[in-house]
Formats: sequence, C-alpha cells, structure tokens
Amino acid sequence: MFEIRHAEDGAILLCGRLDAVQAERLAGVFARIVTPTTIDFRELDYISSAGLGILFATHKRLVDAGGALRLVHLKPHIRELFGIGGFDKLFELE
Amino acid sequence: MVREREFPKQIASLEEVFGFLEGFYAEEGIRTRTGLSLSLVVEELFTNLVKYNTASRNPIVLRLSKEDGRAHLELVDRDVDRFDPAAVPEVDVNAPLAERQPGGLGLHLVRAIVDRITFAYQDRVLRIAVDKDLEPSDV
Repeated sequence: MFEIRHAEDGAILLCGRLDAVQAERLAGVFARIVTPTTIDFRELDYISSAGLGILFATHKRLVDAGGALRLVHLKPHIRELFGIGGFDKLFELE
Repeated sequence: MVREREFPKQIASLEEVFGFLEGFYAEEGIRTRTGLSLSLVVEELFTNLVKYNTASRNPIVLRLSKEDGRAHLELVDRDVDRFDPAAVPEVDVNAPLAERQPGGLGLHLVRAIVDRITFAYQDRVLRIAVDKDLEPSDV
C-alpha cells in the first residue's frame, strides 16, 4: 500500500511502499510542485528506481527554478539506497 | 525447494510478484530488511524486461530458492531479443545534478545489492540469475 499525505505545514508525507506501479501516481502529484517542498519519508518503507527517478526529476526542475526538494526522516535502509545511487550528494537529506 | 510462478509481462503484475516474494520470505525466515532488498532487485529486473524486452508478451517466469546460506532468484523471459547488460551505460553517481542522467539507476542498484548476477541468452530465451548471500539471522 502506498499513500501520499499533505501535512498542514506544506510537507508531503510518503507512506508505505513506493514501487513502479505507485510511482505513476506520485508523478502526477509531484508535477504540481512548483515551490521548495519538504518530503517526509518517516513512514516510507520501500522505494525503487521508479520513485527515485521522480524525486530526481522534480528536484532538478525545482533547482533549475531556484528551489529544491528537502528530504527528511529517511529510514536507514532507504538512506543507504540514496548513497548507492549517489542521491545523497544531490539532495539535502535530514 | 524451488518455487516457480509465471507473471503476465506488465508492470501491473508487480503486486502479485511481491505477494509471491513475501510468501517465500515468510517460509524461509528471511528477515524484513533482506526481503526489501530482494524485492527491489526483482522489481528492477522485472520492470526492465517489461519496458525494454518487448519482442514478446510471454509471461515472465520467476524462480526462488534458498540454499547454502544464499537466496537464489531467477527470471526467465522467452522468445525475446538479446539483452546486453554491458550496453547499459554505467551511472556516474558522482556527477553533479546538472550533469546527472536519470537512466540506468535500476541496474546499478541491483548490481550493488546482489553478490552475483549472470545474464544467459540462448535460443531466444533470456535467463537472469542473481544470488544474495544471507545474513546469519536469515539463515
């Protein structure tokens, strides 16, 4: 199961398992992000390259426009994947 | 024991694929963290076959086994053109954002996670086999 929740402070919470099927839904939501945004990973258990690709494309678009995605509360195994993919150098991770 | 199942060659099969994998983890006592890594490997390989190996729509065969302290996963794609993993460009994980390309990440993650991977192609059948050495707590 995968859920996208919107917090009152403007952050977006990703919850559950973000696989290639669910990534299509995420792409639709992230296409509407036009300002710097915090993505909260505290309830995300799984992500594959499909989800990472959407994060990458959104972040790159925002950086080109002077903004960025900020990623917070990544679980250790997901942070490890970011390291393998070199994404820890591309994103601000907290 | 080798578990084998066929899945329609489409991204929407992933839910069934994960169900099959989770049954394997439960029966073999493979812990959650290792299971997540193995699921990622299968998802990346399966979706690559769906997206790039489009010569046939035959179902993809997935075989799973655990033996001698390692998990063995095999995907078989029949009546397809040759897939050359060496032709997939390596991801430059040190490239700055402006120069970073989005493609190739899935195979890069797979290679980093597994301990052995082989691609065999014969008689228009592609077999991708991976081994992952398990932690003592998985064995």
